Parts: sequence; structure tokens; C-alpha cells
Amino acid sequence: MTTVLENHGPSAASSGSTRASYLSRSILSGIAVGVPAALITFYICHLVVGPGSVRNTELTLAYIAWAVGFLVGVGAFNRPVSWALARPEPTHEQERELAGAGQGAWRYFRYTTDHKVVGIQYLVVTMVLFAAGGIAAMMIRFEVAQPGAKIFSIQIYNTLIGMHGLMMIVATIIMITGAFGNFVVPIMIGARDMAFPRLNALSFWLLFSVIPIFLSAPFFGGFQTGWTAYAPLSVQTSLGMDAYSVTILFFVLSTAVAAINLVTTVVTMRAPGMSWVRLPILVWSLVASSVLGVFVMPAFLASQYLVQLDRTLGTGFFEAAQGGSDWLYEHLFWFMGHPEVYVIVLPAFGAVLEMIPVFSRKPLFGYKVAIGGIVGVAGLSVLVWAHHMFVTGWSPTASGPFMLTTELISIPTGLAFLAAVGTIWRGRVWLTMPMMYVLAFLWNFAIGGVTGLYLADVPLDVQLHGSLFVTAHFHYTLMGGAMMAFLGAVYYWFPKMSGRMYDDGMARIQFWLLQIGFNVTFLAMFYVGLQGEPRRVGDYANKFATGNMVSSIGATLLVVSMVLFWYNLIVSARSGTKATSNPWNAKTLEWLVPTPVPLENFDKIPTITEGPYEYGYLMEDSSSSKRGVTKEQSSE
Amino acid sequence: MGRYSREAKTVTIIWAIFTVLGVLLTLFAHRLLPGLFPVAASSLARTQDFTLGLFTVLGVPVAMLVWVIAAYSVAVGGSREMPSDEGPRIHGNFKVQIAWLTSSAALCIGLIVYGLALLPEIYTPHAGNNLVVDVTGQQWQWTFSYPGYGNATSTTLELPVGEPVTFNVTSVDVTHSFWVPAFGVKVDANGGEVTNAYVVPDVLGNYTVRCAEFCGLYHAYMQAPVHVVTASVFSAWISGVQGTNA
Repeated sequence: MTTVLENHGPSAASSGSTRASYLSRSILSGIAVGVPAALITFYICHLVVGPGSVRNTELTLAYIAWAVGFLVGVGAFNRPVSWALARPEPTHEQERELAGAGQGAWRYFRYTTDHKVVGIQYLVVTMVLFAAGGIAAMMIRFEVAQPGAKIFSIQIYNTLIGMHGLMMIVATIIMITGAFGNFVVPIMIGARDMAFPRLNALSFWLLFSVIPIFLSAPFFGGFQTGWTAYAPLSVQTSLGMDAYSVTILFFVLSTAVAAINLVTTVVTMRAPGMSWVRLPILVWSLVASSVLGVFVMPAFLASQYLVQLDRTLGTGFFEAAQGGSDWLYEHLFWFMGHPEVYVIVLPAFGAVLEMIPVFSRKPLFGYKVAIGGIVGVAGLSVLVWAHHMFVTGWSPTASGPFMLTTELISIPTGLAFLAAVGTIWRGRVWLTMPMMYVLAFLWNFAIGGVTGLYLADVPLDVQLHGSLFVTAHFHYTLMGGAMMAFLGAVYYWFPKMSGRMYDDGMARIQFWLLQIGFNVTFLAMFYVGLQGEPRRVGDYANKFATGNMVSSIGATLLVVSMVLFWYNLIVSARSGTKATSNPWNAKTLEWLVPTPVPLENFDKIPTITEGPYEYGYLMEDSSSSKRGVTKEQSSE
Repeated sequence: MGRYSREAKTVTIIWAIFTVLGVLLTLFAHRLLPGLFPVAASSLARTQDFTLGLFTVLGVPVAMLVWVIAAYSVAVGGSREMPSDEGPRIHGNFKVQIAWLTSSAALCIGLIVYGLALLPEIYTPHAGNNLVVDVTGQQWQWTFSYPGYGNATSTTLELPVGEPVTFNVTSVDVTHSFWVPAFGVKVDANGGEVTNAYVVPDVLGNYTVRCAEFCGLYHAYMQAPVHVVTASVFSAWISGVQGTNA
């Protein structure tokens, strides 16, 4: 299908679609098939299993029926079925219609293959998940602002922490790879679309299909396990756990499909001259993150598959009395769980290193060393998982090696940091909104990184493990680090994605509220953690009261900031000042195509003659500057 | 190039000043403020307290390096307006990269060696005749029994000061974690497994056992009192418990 796209330039808009076809292959047809499928499955299973209250068998199968039915209704299987029936290949005209040509805003609600549509779909879903996870976080912080279970019952609190955790984990996994990996990467490498446009749409709609499943968990008693959902606790908990497991099942499929697509695209569809050492660093980081994700995410799927077998059939994989082990679950979970934080953080490194040269007006310092750092982190990250298990009581001989690998990972991480500060050094630093987020990233991630070394040290981890110190640490890396990089990236690519500029004044207020609120919230949390407050408690001793109150006040600033962020993006996307095609004077390809980016991106595929960050004046005595100065860009 | 080596010197001096200030602040916070950590009532807890301070002192120059270089560059070359000129076209600097790599590797290996050297303290029983305490976690309470005293069983943990203790920890249901912050001791309670922790409590006082692994509904309330008492008080207490159990 891609060959078809490459052999044709853009042609006239496709012939007018009828109203009926607008309703097909859309979110509406998906719901129209998915809901009856779920209800019928539920009813039949209920009859088969026998009368009585709802059990997890029928609930689990109904969830799966919803997701499969929704995907059928949204049109995910149309092409595979017609291929199996040996129907004719779609014409270029039909492919353009599938890519959303001439469908206006409605294309965002359909099974649309254009990578730019999918990128914006991912961005919106990410923001919705951040909002939902943020509301849960706010409820958590309100509850624990004072000792005593005052606002919610302890059951609701226990479900909230898991809902918050998993929504934020999903949001941070998709935030950069989903939104910018889809919107920006094909343009950056000089391609007209992803390698597998239909798989691209499939990855998004797989993700979308599980959101209602996950949000239904509280209506079935929630899951009182936290997001790590350790078995055997998860085997005995309420029906809401089934929503969690099925969510993971489809989410892992979604990430696998997306990752394979992204890697294939970068390997096979780079424009002439776009060698691996001319790739923008963001692309490198996304490839590393995607390869890592493909390796480790299936362990998560496996863990939930086994949990569901324990819950429905009583297989006892995790029950000691039946020959099972809780350590089996922990190994499966963390084999995914720790590399997964690098799946999140590597794209953030990439986004930060992508923006720094633009706003320092200098080439990236040590481009190849930075790539080495990113690849090194990805490689080492599959060897560190059991540092989450130092206090399980396992074999003491295993602690040393995992402490070693965990601390070694700071070396390649340091290389990425060297690239960042080396580029800023002597730069003409342009303090735009994206650059402010880069600086906030450097501040927050340094704290997150150093406190990570405390936790890697086994004797110290024995004290800190399971305390709020850990919670504060990973919020410094994932929120203060990765999410700040994401917000910077949103501001950076917003003019290209929306065609308009954001409100800079409002964005600056929002930035400072966020950075100050974040540090207040989590520095206070470090303190109560050191004092000995465990994670995931809705009630606590009076001696932790001050720290928790300070933390909750900081969290209030975060809420105000994120509301402003939403408001700014929505208002600016509708009525902001028009953006030029290259407001940052940047050199990567996405800034050299017009705004809005036309379907299929390029009239003629460009030829690349130099690296992506050739900023800066030539230094007279420099011997390292024998590179070309101009980039050939074919005419419009 | 003269200007640039001058800048490098300036930034080094600023970095050194902020590092010294940061280290002093750390030492102040760590040593003089009323403990960041809770009361340390064992040598392991004091080691952890020391490690916390040590790692922070070592972390200060690293963080300062990143922050000072970034802040200096912003202060000198930063602007809200689009810069009218470009920065120097520097693609890298081999010496700087090697220096960065070797110093971060040296620091990292130092931390690893330090951590490995302290591992035996958590994993080996202390010398001498150990008081054995069987600890059982269940949703949502702790039970302590003393096999050396006819399995006398209690819901408070009573320990004689200065005597080495071995904890045998297990769970009858889901995974819990036996944590005494004052001792710096933590080990999970797993169903079907017995795990160990070792401590010599050496400061008289009242402390708390907390569950540190989320275990369901009343996890937040899964606590038990710990009393470190003199040998004579302990003897009296344990005979009392034996009397009640019998």
C-alpha cells in the first residue's frame, strides 16, 4: 500500500462521500457493534455459568467481546477480510479516502490512516488520560492532606491509587511515541506516511477500546491492589480487577502494533540521504523505546493472563498452597515494569535533545555519544528489573548483580545529560516555552536520577523500599522529567500540528505554577518517606501530617496549572494567531513542509545532504566543520 | 578562544562554590536538623542514615554540574527574543566526553563497591545467641511468637536491648512486608515461604512495625507496637505472655 502512495503525487480531493459512509468505519459504528456484542456475550455466559450474581467469567468475556466488536464496527478488519476473500487491491483514491481526505474534523473520529490524524488522536487521548489520572491524583492528595480517612472510604481510596497509577502509566507510555512518533516522525525522515497505515489506526483504536473498560472498574468494586496489582492480592480482589487485566491485554497488543510499525517505518522509509547518522535524535530514541517495548511488554500480558486464569479457573499460579509463588508474579511484572519506565523516559530524552539545539542555536553536542547513551540505557534496562525485589526475602546472592546493573545504567544516562548541557553551553539560548520545559526537565530529572542511586543501593533500599520516598523519586523522573519533556514537546510542535500559536503569557504562568507546585509536592513527599510513611496509605500517624499538608498544597498548584494548560491549548487551537510554517527557525524536515501539512506530506521526497542540527557559525580554527551548509529541499 | 577558556574557568568556580554550599547545606540538614530519618535504633539504621548523607554529598556536585552549566549559559546567552546570531558550531569535544565518561564511571563503580561491601550486614545473622521471633502477617495484623519460649505469642513485638534477633517472616494470605523503620529492617512476608531479617536493637524505646507492601483494604492500619526493653523487663513480659497463652 505504501508503494501506491509513493508512486503518486497528491491528486484532486476524492469524490464526494455520502452521508452513510461517514457513519461507517467510525466511532459510532464501533459502538453500535461493540455494545450489543458485549451484552449478548454477557447474557449467554451468565446462562451457561448459571444464575446468581455477576462473576468474573462473564464480565471478562463481555469486556473482550466489547473490544473485538468495537474493532469490527470501526472497520479494523475490513481490509484483512477483503484480502482473505481475494478482492481487488484498493486504488490510490480509496487509500486517500481511508486517510481522511475531504472528511473535515470527522476524520478524527474514524478509522483514519493518515499518520497526522493518528498523532492528534493519540495526543487528545493522552491529555484526557492525564486529566482523568490527574483528577484521581487530586482526590488522593485531598484525602491524605490530613490524617484520618475523612473524605472517602478507605475502599475508594485504595481503588483511586491504582486508577491514578495505571492511567498515568498508560498516558506516559503513549504521550511522546503516540503523539509525536506518529505526527512528526514520518515527516522528519521524509516519508509520506507510516509503513503500515492501517496498523497505525489499529494501534490507536485498540487503545481507545480499553478506555471504557478501564473506567468501568469502579462500578464493579474497583481493584484494591494499586497499579502493580501484586498477586495473590489481585486474585482475591473485587470484580474491578477484570477491567484492569483486560485493559492490559489490549493495551499490550496496541503497543506491540505501534512499535513494530514505527521501527519498520524508520528502517525502510527514510528519504534518500537520510542515513542513520543524520536521523534526528528523537527518531533514535523512539526506535530504541519501541524495540524495548516489543521485548518487555508481553511479560505484562502474560502476567495478567495468568492472573485471569487464577481468578476464573483457580489455577493457582500465584497461590503458595497450590504450588504457586507470589515471586513469579513480581518477576513477570517487573520484567516489564522497569524497562517500561525507560520506554517512557527514552522518548523524553529524545524530545529534550531534539529541542535543545534549536533553542541554543548550536549543533547537538556529541550526537553519536548521545545515541550511544540512549542505546546503552535501552540495553541495560532489561537487566535491572529485580531491583524492585531486594526486600522480597529472595536469594541474597541475587541482590549484588542487580545492584550492579542498576547503578551502571547511570553511566549511559549521564551521556545523554552531557549532550544536553554540552549543547546549551555557549549557546544563544532562546527562552521559548519549550526551552523552559527543557530546563525544568534538567532540574527535576537530576533530582530523580540522584535519588534513584539511593534506591539502587541495597542496604539503603531496605529502609526506603515501599515508602513514599520511592513515590516521590519516580514522580521526579516520570512527571518532573518525562512529562515536562512532553509538555515542552506539545508547545514545540503545537504550531505545526494546529497551525496556530499558543498564548505565551498564559503558558509562562502555567509553567511556573507547574514547576513550583511539582517541587513542593514531591520534596515534601521525600521528607515523609524518609520519616517512614509507607506508600498507598489513606490514613497515617500524626507525625506525618505537616509534610502531607505541604504536599497537598503543592498539588493544588499542579491542578490549577494543568487546567490552564488545557484551556490554553483548546482556545489557541481555535483562535490563536496563525503560525508560520517554521516559527522556531528549525532545520528538521517537519518545519520545512507547509502548515497545515498536506496529506502525504511531500510533493517530492526530499534528498538529505547533512545532519539535522547544523546550526551555528563556523569557528575559524575548527577542523570539525567540513559539512555542507544548505539542505536541499525539493520545490513545492 | 581566549574568551571561551575564561568562561570555562568562571563556570568551574561557580560550580565549586555551589557544590561547597550544597554540601554544607546537606550536612546541616542531615546532621543538625532533628533527623531526616526516624530514630535510628540499630547499627543498620545508622549505616543507612550515613549512606543517605554520603550519597547526597556525592550527588551534589553531579547535579550542580548540570544546573550550573545550564544556568550560566542561560544567564549569559539567554533571551526571550529570537537570537539574532547563532552559537558556535561545536559538534563535540573528545576530551570533555572522555572526562565525563570516566568520572561518572568511577563514581558509579565506587557506589557499587560501597553497596556490595555492606550487603552482608542485611543478609547474615549477628554473632551470638540469637533470639528467634516468628513473624506472621495476615490481613491485616501482625503476630509474633517466640519459639525459644514455648511459642509464646503476642501482637506486640517485645525485644531485649542489645541482644541479636533473627526474624522468621511469613504470611498466611497475600504478600505483606515486615518493616521496622527504627531498625532499618524490612523483608516481605510471602505465603509459603519463610524469609529472614536480622537486627540488634540497641536503643531503648517504643517503635512501630508497619506493613510496607500494599495488602488490601486495611493496609494502612496494619501496624504493631515494638518495645525495646531491658533484659529483666523482657523476662517478666515473656513469662507473663507464656502464662496467658497457657
